[in-house]
Amino acid sequence: MRQKIIIVPCSGIGKSYGTVTREAAYVVTEDLCPERTRLVPLALLVLGGDEACSALGGAKAIALDGCKLSCAAKVVAESGGAVAHAIQVPEVFRRHRDLKPSGIAALDENGLRLARVLAQEVKELVDSMTGEVCHA
Amino acid sequence: MPELPKRKVGIIACSGEEIPEGTVARLAALKVLQSMRAKETVTLCLPLFLAGGEGDRAFARFHPTIAVDGCEKQCAARGTEMYSGKPAASIVINHGACANSSPLGTARRLTQAGMQVVSDVADQIARHVDELLDLKWDRRAGARADSPTAQAESEARQAPCSCGSGVPVTTLHVAGRKAALVALPLIFAQFREAGKLPDDSTKAELMQAVKIYNPVPDADEEAYAQAVLQEYSVFCQRSH
Repeated sequence: MRQKIIIVPCSGIGKSYGTVTREAAYVVTEDLCPERTRLVPLALLVLGGDEACSALGGAKAIALDGCKLSCAAKVVAESGGAVAHAIQVPEVFRRHRDLKPSGIAALDENGLRLARVLAQEVKELVDSMTGEVCHA
Repeated sequence: MPELPKRKVGIIACSGEEIPEGTVARLAALKVLQSMRAKETVTLCLPLFLAGGEGDRAFARFHPTIAVDGCEKQCAARGTEMYSGKPAASIVINHGACANSSPLGTARRLTQAGMQVVSDVADQIARHVDELLDLKWDRRAGARADSPTAQAESEARQAPCSCGSGVPVTTLHVAGRKAALVALPLIFAQFREAGKLPDDSTKAELMQAVKIYNPVPDADEEAYAQAVLQEYSVFCQRSH
């Protein structure tokens, strides 16, 4: 069985962009590509060591970050993971300026739409990495 | 010891994406940060501890923290202890924090019961905050008993981040490497006020204060002492 691609959102708690990564990760792993992806919690990787290694399992990862500090990408790399792609939400927002998100506990409609745009971009990356098209 | 910025409590939620309890931890922390104790708390970003958030690490070294975890792995509590300091309080949601934590819903969408657990856990966090800050809280008024205007000030807002906690971080070049040291200006101000000169007679005492808040490797202690003393000298010149 082929290894699933790992999706790691930063889930930053201080800004809406963090929640956008979280929501997008759910959209990818539950709705768009459940057979080819799995979500790994960043908090688990922070601890490092065997737990982090076993969570990553040597698979390729796509890191979703809410800001330029790139916690998800950095922590995956620090844990020995292979970051195949790293996406920052502000960059996605720059291409979709009409989708200014708001809310952290719960995203507003713009935030949810931005998360779906991000999820679609991730799906396309997953398609290209696996050489197959995910059918939602 | 230097006088530090106003004492607040840092809240670190695991935000675990895999299980509903992780979402409960996140939402309960946000409820406290945004509305219940907005002025008394800041959020600390767990991944930032590892990704280089010296401000977050500094905050947790100076202020009490509360870790809120969704499972017994206790990533938030263990991560905080690993990179900064032991949390003053630790809540584990599926470990007896709430008696009824089974029908929470999914990590993505909590049920009504899940949202009730969020409220229960938020109440627990708020109680810990009050204990740690020794606050008197008027439950009926929903405000600090010693501050009649606090309720109005506690309206929902963006979760305050510890990066703006006010604990200064200074980067020095020590033994060919960059070293981030916290609280130097506060320590320097206190030394300067006490009339201590930036020379060798002050060096040992200065390092004693610096080492309270910063890890200093034994092998590099002399190099650190020189760099700190030089920085203190610059500080004194600027303060003239």
